[in-house]
Amino acid sequence: MTDVMPDWLKAEENYTPQSDKDAFIDKSIMSLIKIIGGARTANTGERGVNTELKTACTFILLVLISASGSTAFILAAGAYLLCVLSLMRAQEILSILRGSFTASLFTLILLLPALNVSFMTAIKVFLSVTAAGILARSAKWHSVTVALHRFFIPDMFIFILDTALRYIFILSEYASGLFYALRLRSVGRNKGKYSSLSGVAGTVFLKSGEMADEMRSAMECRGFTGEYRVYGKLRFGAADVIYAAANLTLILSFIYLERV
Amino acid sequence: MHIPDNYLSLSTCAVMGAAMAPVWAASAKKIKSEITKEEMPRLGIGAAFSFLVMMINVPLPGGTSGHAVGGALLAVLIGPYAACISITATLLIQALFFGDGGILSFGANAFNMAFILPFTGYFFYKFIKDRAKTEKGGYFAAIAGSYIGINAAALRAATEFGVQPLLFRSARGRPLYCPYPLSVSIPAMVIPHLLLLGAVEAFFTAAAYSYVKKVSPGMIYAGGKQKIKAVYGLLAALILLSPLGLLAAGTAWGEWDGAEIKSMLGYIPEGIGKGISLKAMMPDYSVPGLSGAAGYILSAAAGASILVIIFKLLGLIVKKNAVKADD
Repeated sequence: MTDVMPDWLKAEENYTPQSDKDAFIDKSIMSLIKIIGGARTANTGERGVNTELKTACTFILLVLISASGSTAFILAAGAYLLCVLSLMRAQEILSILRGSFTASLFTLILLLPALNVSFMTAIKVFLSVTAAGILARSAKWHSVTVALHRFFIPDMFIFILDTALRYIFILSEYASGLFYALRLRSVGRNKGKYSSLSGVAGTVFLKSGEMADEMRSAMECRGFTGEYRVYGKLRFGAADVIYAAANLTLILSFIYLERV
Repeated sequence: MHIPDNYLSLSTCAVMGAAMAPVWAASAKKIKSEITKEEMPRLGIGAAFSFLVMMINVPLPGGTSGHAVGGALLAVLIGPYAACISITATLLIQALFFGDGGILSFGANAFNMAFILPFTGYFFYKFIKDRAKTEKGGYFAAIAGSYIGINAAALRAATEFGVQPLLFRSARGRPLYCPYPLSVSIPAMVIPHLLLLGAVEAFFTAAAYSYVKKVSPGMIYAGGKQKIKAVYGLLAALILLSPLGLLAAGTAWGEWDGAEIKSMLGYIPEGIGKGISLKAMMPDYSVPGLSGAAGYILSAAAGASILVIIFKLLGLIVKKNAVKADD
């Protein structure tokens, strides 16, 4: 029995892998997980006001904010957005405000030489990013697609947007899988790790092409001709009436204040 | 009762701020250990409520005006320590964005309205409630607590105004800051509060207490149902009612601007004339280019929302602390 086992197998193992730095893999994985997490939380929305109305009003508000020259209107829009924001969940408020503060700070620094203009512009950027953030976090992506279709946006555009959003999520998951695999297989010091990065990017690119083909075939098999159809009627409740009234007031106040 | 900048000397402001520091520290500690993250938005709603109540000015005989604070009500609903922090946040927003109450005198205003009022009010509320345990007893305790609380705060503010001419005079013997001595400031502030504003505060307290007790008793007793939507409804109603504050045309006692004080005294005290003046974003709750009422509604909505948002975000920090404590 003892002869059957070779000597090397009986020798005590004494292998300590060399320590290695893989901070860049961790960082890449974390940023991918953030995208996936972001996509997941962004999809929890759909409360209260119907999305078609919300999308239309947000677009109008964005145009009005950027076109407005009156401080009073900017303050009014600010007060309105703060009211909407105060009704949201704490985590949502934090992520929306983080985006808008970063954007407006960046604007302020960029436009610092023109101090008079830059302050107003920074506030406008703050309001616009907040308005867009509120829409993104309170509406499901697929219902935004529905809303876009109702506003006669070309189907091709909706198709690209819809697919891109979905595949950002799927491909990030795929890429994070590849990074995990790279880390698991890098026992000890792996000098070729950085060159594997291009491999990860290449594989994700090839995979995306493959997936695109597969999806096209699958959709054709199911009878998709590139034309979107919306099922279900527009619903309109009490919350929608209040929301529409608030936005109508804002639009009217814009007209009134810009005339003065 | 909002003391503007330059009515108190810098040293008075510093003393009041220093006196308030341990109160803030104790309140923050108490909130961290006792308030859960689910309860944090309540503090925001409380702060928003107080903000809105303070906007509704009541005209007083003699051409001045005054307002309720809602401090004792908050102390009853969320506890005196939480009320202290809520009202402090309210005063800060008022001073920074709306120019109501000074930045330098923030410590003094916080001492009067965020410390004296809720703690005195709560002490008397508790004292009476422990002895009269019926439902009517609870109402009476809340009413009495709020009446005594706001009068204590008014007396405190009047004392701060009144000691200025005793302590700070120019070389020519003229007062540097608030010109009226204790013999004028105490009757001028305390009598309207004893006769009218105390009753207004008690009315707001009783009305809000009974509303909350009816629609969302969970905010008063542990375990009762909580209807946060109904309370938001109350806030929305107060926002729409806020222009009522414009009916009171007079300036509150001790909150005059330079021109007003010159017409009363014939001169402007040096500290007031040459003191700091910070321009708020929406001074006196008005928006340039909008009518008074519209400006008031906008200010009310913005101020209340900011307070609710601040406390919702603070709730995230409390949550993190709770997780750390579990580890």
